[in-house]
Amino acid sequence: MSEVALLQLLGMSVVGLGICILLFIKSKFLRVLGFVIIVLGSFSLTALSVPQMASLPPAIESFDIASLKSPDDLASLGQKIFFSKGQCALCHSIGPSHSARCPDLAGIGAKLAPEFIYESLTNPQAYVYLDYRHDQLPEEYPAQMPYINKNPIALSKPEIYSVIAFLQKMSGEPITIKVEDVLNQEPDTKELKVAGHARANDAGNIILAQSSDMVVE
Amino acid sequence: MKHYSPLQMIRNSTFPISGVSLLKWGGMLVLLLFPILAWAQDAATQAMSVEYRDIPGIGSRNIIWIVAQQHLLLAGFVLGVPIFAWICEIVGWKTNEPRYDKLAKEFTKLLTSAYATTALFGGILLFLLIGLYPKLMAYLTDIFFPSFIAYCILFILETATLYMYWYGWDAMQGRKKALHIFLGLLLNLFALGIMIVPNAWATFQASPVVIADGTAIERAWSAMQNPTWWPVNIHRLIANVVLGGFICGAYAGVRYLLAVTKEEKEHYDWMGYVGNFIGVFGMLPLPFAGYWLMREIYQYNQQMGITLMGGFLAWLFILQAMLIGVLFLGANYYFWLGIAHRIPGSEGQYKKPIMAMLIVLLACLAVWMTPHSLVASLAEAQKMGGTHHPLLGVFGVMSAKMTVSNLMVLVTFMSFIMYWRAGKVETAGWAKAAKGLMGVLLVIASVAVIGLGIWGYFVPAIIRINYFSVAQVLIVLFIMITFTPLTALLMKSAKTTTEMVWGQMPVRAGYSLVLNAVMVILLMSLMGYARSSSRVHWHIYGVMRDTSEYAYSPALGYAAAFMSLNTFVFCLLAAFIFWVATLGDKAKSQPPKDEPVKVPPMGSSTPAMAGGAPTSEETRK
Repeated sequence: MSEVALLQLLGMSVVGLGICILLFIKSKFLRVLGFVIIVLGSFSLTALSVPQMASLPPAIESFDIASLKSPDDLASLGQKIFFSKGQCALCHSIGPSHSARCPDLAGIGAKLAPEFIYESLTNPQAYVYLDYRHDQLPEEYPAQMPYINKNPIALSKPEIYSVIAFLQKMSGEPITIKVEDVLNQEPDTKELKVAGHARANDAGNIILAQSSDMVVE
Repeated sequence: MKHYSPLQMIRNSTFPISGVSLLKWGGMLVLLLFPILAWAQDAATQAMSVEYRDIPGIGSRNIIWIVAQQHLLLAGFVLGVPIFAWICEIVGWKTNEPRYDKLAKEFTKLLTSAYATTALFGGILLFLLIGLYPKLMAYLTDIFFPSFIAYCILFILETATLYMYWYGWDAMQGRKKALHIFLGLLLNLFALGIMIVPNAWATFQASPVVIADGTAIERAWSAMQNPTWWPVNIHRLIANVVLGGFICGAYAGVRYLLAVTKEEKEHYDWMGYVGNFIGVFGMLPLPFAGYWLMREIYQYNQQMGITLMGGFLAWLFILQAMLIGVLFLGANYYFWLGIAHRIPGSEGQYKKPIMAMLIVLLACLAVWMTPHSLVASLAEAQKMGGTHHPLLGVFGVMSAKMTVSNLMVLVTFMSFIMYWRAGKVETAGWAKAAKGLMGVLLVIASVAVIGLGIWGYFVPAIIRINYFSVAQVLIVLFIMITFTPLTALLMKSAKTTTEMVWGQMPVRAGYSLVLNAVMVILLMSLMGYARSSSRVHWHIYGVMRDTSEYAYSPALGYAAAFMSLNTFVFCLLAAFIFWVATLGDKAKSQPPKDEPVKVPPMGSSTPAMAGGAPTSEETRK
């Protein structure tokens, strides 16, 4: 018997019990309880009659840095970090957005040199980007850029380089980050002070969360 | 003062142990203890790295689900009741009508008895969260610790104020009433604080902001100010009033059904009416607050918004429509029963408008419950040209649903206005003009709401969301804001043709009050599941992933069964608490035959948990 069938049987039993209470029990308080369980049973049965979908978590992908062969591999890895461990998409949009709390990153790889992007990620207060979207004087964005190489995000150097490669590729630029440079970087051995969804590098392995997915049972 | 080390103290004592033997014994002790110390260190390290613990059989998530739901429902009641108890008290104070003061006190009696149980479930929830989700709790503690301190201070202040408010009720009558009213204000302010601080923790999980460097207080404050914090605060504040109102209504409904004497029937009929009125009064602006919350969620993260409204949770909103629809019907039905049974002779007069309202409500409910995509077989889908029905598909979109929800609010409001005016004849010279104006405004508003809804099909979604839906809401609010004072003015000089008769309602009125309360509890449970599930497999959306075996969101059927279980448990819990709260009353109302009735001196009443403080009548004697 499937879980749905079992729950349906249970729901019908509850409704039946409620009807029996209303038919045969005189106590007013128990009759109210019987009425309540009829309502609750009917609600459960209705919910069981609509499509039953559950949201399953995506698999966690473990990535070996040594498998990086081309700049495109780097950019692909950077894209995954951008939308997961890096938490960049929490504030930044790629393309115009009414609700962006930080600069739009569309075309940023073409506008800024990789060294500048690296500095923006690891020393974000060195140069504060202003919001020029409005007609009035430029304002600061509402959210403050965190130090991306420190806790709680704590991206390692290879991870930051991968993100820069993604920003360059996304902007239609040739990727200037070299795979050798990434491979030659010593993976950080720092541990997250507070465990996040992804751990700091461990022997060159990066753990990534894929984007959410929906599964129909 | 000279300080000695423990070893020196032993050496200086008269204990017959020489220095050499002490070293021997000490060495042996260290050798013995070494493995234990090493084991303890290993255990400590291991404990620090534990991410989850589980409870076999029921599962950690399920036990948290049950306890958190009970705590939230109790907390909603405890935080909602003081708002209208305080307003009732002010009304009684200003109008010099003792029955309002008595009612406010009765509400507060239910509150005091539920308060301790709420705190109890809060404590259980905290222990379970620390034990079962140590990694998540460590993360949240690291960010929010200063707010934990603030919460504790608020809780102490709230508790102290509640005790003074409840136990000082009779002592602060007369000249000291203003002080008591001020205590009620403080109680509500602290209650607001108690609500919004934990809301920040929960909303941070759904819409986290990146925590920049700074002091602990700066970090906590920036995390609290996340995008959905205030929309949830407002939504919960209103919803708590609705929950409190309908639960008090249900309590009165059950007491009405169990009542034996005429006085009891009259009192609980009136209390049921007030409870239902408070619930409906709060329910009218609730959809607007919900709309604002959803808008903020979409703006924060479109993917989360889509998961809620168009993803695996889409069917949940059909269930939500059903529950809200039944609630609207139940609340209106109670008003209509009131017209028929409390105002003799009005039944025939209002039969046609009631029938028209019922038809509009049912039609609106049918549209609201129409799904966007139908469950169809492949052959059926091919016939329809997709999963969208050629006719019904039109009703499955937001433009139609926003329109009908506004219309239902409008109808319910008019139901209340009709009840207010029943049994009275306006005597003011301008009454005819005012009624005519209201009629014209009502027609214009209805046409405008429907017109904007139809127009909404032909404009981009952003225009509809930002302008049309907001305009619909404002139109309905305009009607409510203009009609209420206008009707109040009309009724001030109106002549009562039929006196209202209390205690004559049929049995089904009591059941409809119970039904309304069950609907609200289910709604809160359902939307709690929606809010939690919108985070999908994240403890903190996009920041901390749920890596436990319970990282999935269960399907609606399973979730609904759990919600029903939670609702039933809550109903039993509430019944028990209220039963305990009224034990003192029963004891007082049945004094031993051989003993004269004694008025208990102030301060010697039974504890608040038993609800046994002396009644105002007793004090007045």
